[in-house]
Amino acid sequence: MRSLLLDRASFWYPATESPTLRDVSLDVAQGEVVALVGALGAGASTLLLLAADLAPRVTGGRLAGSVARRDRSGIVLPTPWTQVSGMAFTVWDEIAFGPANLAWPAHEIARQVDRALEQLQLAPLASRDPATLSGGELQRVIIAAILAMDPGLVLFDEPAAELDADGAGILWRLIRLLAREGKAVLLATSALDALPDVADRVVWLEGGAIRAVGTPDLLADVATCDAGLGTSIATVWRAAGLPAPYPLTVAQAVRGWR
Amino acid sequence: MSRLHPYTLLAIAGALPAFAWILPAPSGGTWTAAVALVLTLTPGESPGLTGTGASSGWRARLIVLRTAVVTAAPFWLFLLLLHDVPTTIAIGLRITTMVASFVWLVAALAPARLVEAMVASGWSASVAYLLAATLSAVPMLKARAQRIVEAQRCRGLSPRGGVAARMRALRALALPLVLSALHEVDERALALETRGLVPGIRRTPLAPPPDSAVERAARWVLLVACLFALVRRFTVPGVS
Amino acid sequence: MSIRLLALIPVAAAISLALSAAVDAVALPLFLDTTGTILATALAGPGVGIATGIVTSAVNTLRNPTFWPFVVVQIIVALYAWVAARAGLFRGFRTAVPAGLGLGVIASVTSTPISYLVFGCTTTGGIALTTALGRALGLPPLEACFFGSFVSDFGDKAVSFALVTSVLHALPRRTAARFPWALRAIGAA
Repeated sequence: MRSLLLDRASFWYPATESPTLRDVSLDVAQGEVVALVGALGAGASTLLLLAADLAPRVTGGRLAGSVARRDRSGIVLPTPWTQVSGMAFTVWDEIAFGPANLAWPAHEIARQVDRALEQLQLAPLASRDPATLSGGELQRVIIAAILAMDPGLVLFDEPAAELDADGAGILWRLIRLLAREGKAVLLATSALDALPDVADRVVWLEGGAIRAVGTPDLLADVATCDAGLGTSIATVWRAAGLPAPYPLTVAQAVRGWR
Repeated sequence: MSRLHPYTLLAIAGALPAFAWILPAPSGGTWTAAVALVLTLTPGESPGLTGTGASSGWRARLIVLRTAVVTAAPFWLFLLLLHDVPTTIAIGLRITTMVASFVWLVAALAPARLVEAMVASGWSASVAYLLAATLSAVPMLKARAQRIVEAQRCRGLSPRGGVAARMRALRALALPLVLSALHEVDERALALETRGLVPGIRRTPLAPPPDSAVERAARWVLLVACLFALVRRFTVPGVS
Repeated sequence: MSIRLLALIPVAAAISLALSAAVDAVALPLFLDTTGTILATALAGPGVGIATGIVTSAVNTLRNPTFWPFVVVQIIVALYAWVAARAGLFRGFRTAVPAGLGLGVIASVTSTPISYLVFGCTTTGGIALTTALGRALGLPPLEACFFGSFVSDFGDKAVSFALVTSVLHALPRRTAARFPWALRAIGAA
């Protein structure tokens, strides 16, 4: 069942001549994890804002083509400190902020918040003041806050940017869990090495248009590696002058080496 | 004290200065100031905005009293400079009442409880957001201003030089601070939208502070007493 | 009110308060506590400006309880800034600084009665001392009080107007276009 459909969507920010997105067609199904990769400024963030119904509604600008979504969406943006509600003085309240705005009954809110705390391993921090948390902890709180609203379509914009290795591990496992639960996940990330285990499909964005779509094997293609979008091992393999096909993961490299 | 409903705390903190101004000086001012100063010794709950966390121990309570006294003292000094003794006492007591009431309020009232009280009594989420968000935003912007000051100092900013130089320095300080803050407004708006904060919504209260009939009655009594005193002040002859 | 404008208010109020603290670093005798209010009005109109002024006063009061009577001044500042924005007076220093000086006069006229009646002219040490100076020069009490407020308000409001002008001109077109009044305030719309 399709959760999100972009049909030949083009988008211009206000007072801007050239479109940030050109003729993008993309669909994400429930239970699927789709990853957007591309250089800085390729339009991944804008695409996510379109999917979240924040562009052009909140950002202004012009949309050509159509965007259709089936479920409620929630988006996790890159910088945690601008996503803090400002109205909560404990982590628990911060996570409960979204559900409270949805006017859910108190017991339902408590259930969702406790579940989100557990999923992001935040229980020890539940009564801390968000203003005292580190960037990584705060990012996990924001992710929990979005998940507590139980969105059907979950959008991530560089979610691992502030996270350390442990935090990132929690995140990637969680994303797979969300897909198993039937949610649709669309994420933009530069953590390419994680994608073979996390993503079902990879979409390569360049200059606002889709250049290629495929399985994560795409990240070991010659073209993507030329563009600097290969996994680390593929990039190293290529830099060492070894021949294609490049390995996608370390395990593949080891097999190929032998 | 801090277990009282936030509106009751607000009512007391508002009524005391009102009485100090309405009631004839100096007796009116004396007892309101005394009450306000005594209040500063009652346990406050929140670390709140004074950062004292005055919930136990006499030392913690004395800090609140000391803050009130220290804030009010300069006024007495300057009043003495400008006015004769009776006027000084009259105005000084009023100011002391106001200062002590507010300092007590800040120590006793946790912002979170006030926000929850507002949400529970039907204020729209937007209004509750304004107060809470400003309280969170101020320390963050101040810290950023501090960082900009330090960065500019490395580039030669100093409080020396003529007025023109200092104005340029001020501009070099203010512009990055304001521009970065404005840029963030857009990001904050996106984040708030995705968390469901729509103008005019009625949130579910998460932990509404308990209110009692006694407290509600007490608030009304305070209000009526103020109005009564006000009317009496202006209508009964011979009351200065 | 859209969420964007709602999000602007706390930020603008915090700007005023952060600037008041930062101005010590350049050792200038300024308050700048109405800068956020003026900026919010020039960007988004009088409603947002007044709300910013009220919120600034409320939070300022928590720091120093004697500021709350001056919320009236913040509201007057917002209204004045609205008139100035409508007339495009932020289009350059040549128009903004005189406008700021005008506000300085109006602000001190508004704050003098408050200062006199509530505080006996001792609102701050600076005002008290300049009032004493005024008295020494032979001015009657109320006028001496005005003299005290005027001296500090006059320059302060002009500097605030100048700062807001700089900010408005420094905003990228794309951002300015998204605030309802910004372009009109700098005379570009």
